[in-house]
Amino acid sequence: MKKIQSIFIAIMAVFSLSSCTYNKLVEQEEAVTRAWADVETQYQRRADLIPNIVNTVKGYAAHESETLEAVINARSKATQITIDPTNATPEQIAAFQAAQGEISQALGRLLAVSENYPDLKANEQFSELQAQLEGTENRIAESRRLYNETVQTYNVSVRRFPNNIWAMIFGFEKKAMFTAEAGAEKAPEVQF
Amino acid sequence: MRKVLLILYSLFVAVALYAATYTPDNLPVPYLEDKTQYVSNPDGILSQDAVDSLNTWLGQMEERHGVQTVLAVVEHIDAADTYDFCMKLGLKYGIGSKEKNTGLIILLSTGDRAYTILTGRGLEGTLPDAICKRIENHQMLPALRESDWDEAMLATVRAITKYVDGDDSLVGDSDFEHNDGDGTALTLFLLFLAGALGLTIYAVWKDKRMKSYCPSCHQYKMKKIAGRTTKNKLLGIRSHHDTYQCTNCSFIKELHWDEDLHSTGGAAAAGGALGGSFFGSGGSGGFSGGSFGGGSFGGGGASGRF
Repeated sequence: MKKIQSIFIAIMAVFSLSSCTYNKLVEQEEAVTRAWADVETQYQRRADLIPNIVNTVKGYAAHESETLEAVINARSKATQITIDPTNATPEQIAAFQAAQGEISQALGRLLAVSENYPDLKANEQFSELQAQLEGTENRIAESRRLYNETVQTYNVSVRRFPNNIWAMIFGFEKKAMFTAEAGAEKAPEVQF
Repeated sequence: MRKVLLILYSLFVAVALYAATYTPDNLPVPYLEDKTQYVSNPDGILSQDAVDSLNTWLGQMEERHGVQTVLAVVEHIDAADTYDFCMKLGLKYGIGSKEKNTGLIILLSTGDRAYTILTGRGLEGTLPDAICKRIENHQMLPALRESDWDEAMLATVRAITKYVDGDDSLVGDSDFEHNDGDGTALTLFLLFLAGALGLTIYAVWKDKRMKSYCPSCHQYKMKKIAGRTTKNKLLGIRSHHDTYQCTNCSFIKELHWDEDLHSTGGAAAAGGALGGSFFGSGGSGGFSGGSFGGGSFGGGGASGRF
């Protein structure tokens, strides 16, 4: 009888310990989801800005249609990719990043082209749109940094002993991060 | 000798040049020492008049709307750009309250010919990027092109104040210790003083009343008829031997009590000591440094070059 009792207590003790770990892992996973949502919001914000920018540029530089179309195409391609952060593979994140990177490149070219149009450059609305775009790129960079930070905290907890045992039992897996990408993810340089 | 002088001179120049380049880590933030100083003007680019006006306006903005600002004008920065500098500065100090994230950083680097207005997450609605850009284009740039640094900053803060004033959702945070900090400290101190005074009066009254108590007829009608005081230097005490007689039943009681020569009397002394230390801390509170609330920056705002 005494043996059964002690075994029962041992099981309870183990479970109370694991529930603590479990809750912590759940919390950290939620933080990752939140951070990802912020990343998506910022990318969406940029996607929403694009029609305005394209239309403004069109008014001054209609024959730059190739550059304009590249932006629109990149945008429609990127907005199709959505990711569930709870089980995103590194490949999915990379695909998302590549699609968004294409927008950045297309926008960069568009802004470079707009340098050739003094009237456009002097346009107040365009200047403000550029500022909004620049601010959005900054926000994207910041939200990605925060996302990576959150994922790193989570990954460390998942992999650390003895958490890794519970993580394995409850199915918490290591999550993918953004990788620094040469050039493609750099905010377009906006010169005034 | 000449060589030594030359080396010394070049060293001095090197230090001077080095000092004129700032990183987010070595930029002086006067606010931390004195919470009325929002402007960091280490190279003396702004005039004292402009600094005073800016401090007043930014102080009002924090008091009324809870917007905590750091405005820096420097010659050179050591960072990728002014935006990067501001973000790192914001991250380092956590400018703005943690709940509302209403921090604001304005940076002008005259040597790099670049500027940034960086808004905290909670200010992005009041001062969207486009508005920041508009303020920069209309208020800051014209003055910058004429190298009128004072006017550039004054006009910018004036315009920002207008937008912040127009946003009713921004209210001064009563938790900001420096808003009512002095008032609270003063009230507490006055309350404490009143309490200490009351206690002292009560102690004196109680002491007198106990002395007039007659153990025989239980009335408070004893009068002192004789008294004798002896001083003991060795023990540091003064011994009082008093004789009291009841005016009601003529009962006589002897009272003997020692007075410690090192203190002047119970409650009053304690009150004085406590009051003194309290006043000390309250006094330093008047010009104490401000603290930043831990606000976060998401990258909002606008930058530019001139």
